Amino acid sequence: MNRCGRFVAGGCVLAACLSIGAESPRLPAEQLAKAVRNDSISIPTPGELFAALAKPGKPNWSGQFRGPLPTTYKNRAQIALNLGGLIADGFIAVEAQDSQQVKNIGTDIIRMAKALGVSENILSRGNSINEFAENNEWDALQEELEATQNEVKTSMQTHRDQDLVILVSLGGWIRGTQVVSAAVMQNYNERAARVLRQPALVNFIRSKIDDVSPGMRDDPLVKEVSQQLTNIEKLVSFPPGQAPTVDDVRKVNAAVGQVMEEIQHKPEAK
Amino acid sequence: MKRRLAVFLSILALVSTLSLRAESDKEVEAHKAVLDLAGAFSNDGFKMRDGHWSGTIKPNEHALIAVNLYAGNQYWFSVGATAPAKKVEVVVYDETGKLMTTESYNEGERAAAGFSPTSSGQYYISIGLLEGGESAFCLIYSYK
Repeated sequence: MNRCGRFVAGGCVLAACLSIGAESPRLPAEQLAKAVRNDSISIPTPGELFAALAKPGKPNWSGQFRGPLPTTYKNRAQIALNLGGLIADGFIAVEAQDSQQVKNIGTDIIRMAKALGVSENILSRGNSINEFAENNEWDALQEELEATQNEVKTSMQTHRDQDLVILVSLGGWIRGTQVVSAAVMQNYNERAARVLRQPALVNFIRSKIDDVSPGMRDDPLVKEVSQQLTNIEKLVSFPPGQAPTVDDVRKVNAAVGQVMEEIQHKPEAK
Repeated sequence: MKRRLAVFLSILALVSTLSLRAESDKEVEAHKAVLDLAGAFSNDGFKMRDGHWSGTIKPNEHALIAVNLYAGNQYWFSVGATAPAKKVEVVVYDETGKLMTTESYNEGERAAAGFSPTSSGQYYISIGLLEGGESAFCLIYSYK
């Protein structure tokens, strides 16, 4: 090859290298499929969801409070789902900086956790929640709420109640999504609406529910919630970068609202 | 003060969750190392997640975990490893596997990646052992 030929060939190699360099490295799909997914890292807390919602403008958090839940649930799956929802309520009360509401919810969380027979250590968490609420230590309260949730889950795992763990996470996600979709509907803007896109998260929760023991899977409430999650997964599958419309948000809110109704449905008096 | 409280609460949670899975002493050590690093972000208003992910990593291998993030939030993913790890890295990929641009912090066996997603959804956090031998690692993340 003459000098000119070598120069052209070298230029071609350089151009090829530059074009490879310009392309961002990608992980192949089979590698992504093998990624670890776990409850404590892959599922965000309601606090993360609420933090994102509050960026474009502070929502009316106290307008999202709901009345006290019955404490007479007998079904363990229903208690676990409601416990998750209550923890999300705790995060809402922290965002609203309402210390009395935080204390009330903290008491209900402990009561419900005890109904599931979780460790007595949870009682000290209740005391910490009260103390932080009285001192208006909002950041510490967020961390304490998550720590309480994790302690409940840890206790469930050590008591061979593994199936209940995902129900706590699911209850928290549904309640959080109900609140966020309601807040976005009240004061729609595209930036806030984007937080509702979570198809992979719903898919992960659904797959975990598919993995619970046959006894738990056949529980009528778990069965119903699981079936509705299939529809919710479609409703939160917006294309990346595209904000859901007001109508999209309304549909999400209606779907999660229906599930929430079933979860908090009062047990029939005997 | 806030940072101390956050680190204290996390260590408390660490101790209370030890019974969940028999973590090795090295993994506990890696967790302590990463708490100190992530605690620094608390000074900037970042809230530290109570959950963590730990394991072992071999040279030139990557450990990958899926996370679900919200557009509008800022995140820091922090990793700590134990000796003989000498250099680790944290990188973020989107749901299609595309490498994301992040702020990065590297300090030998501890590293962190700062990321602000513009789209909500699933992302992947990859931890790599660039120098040193097989080591225990621990990942935690913070958000605001």
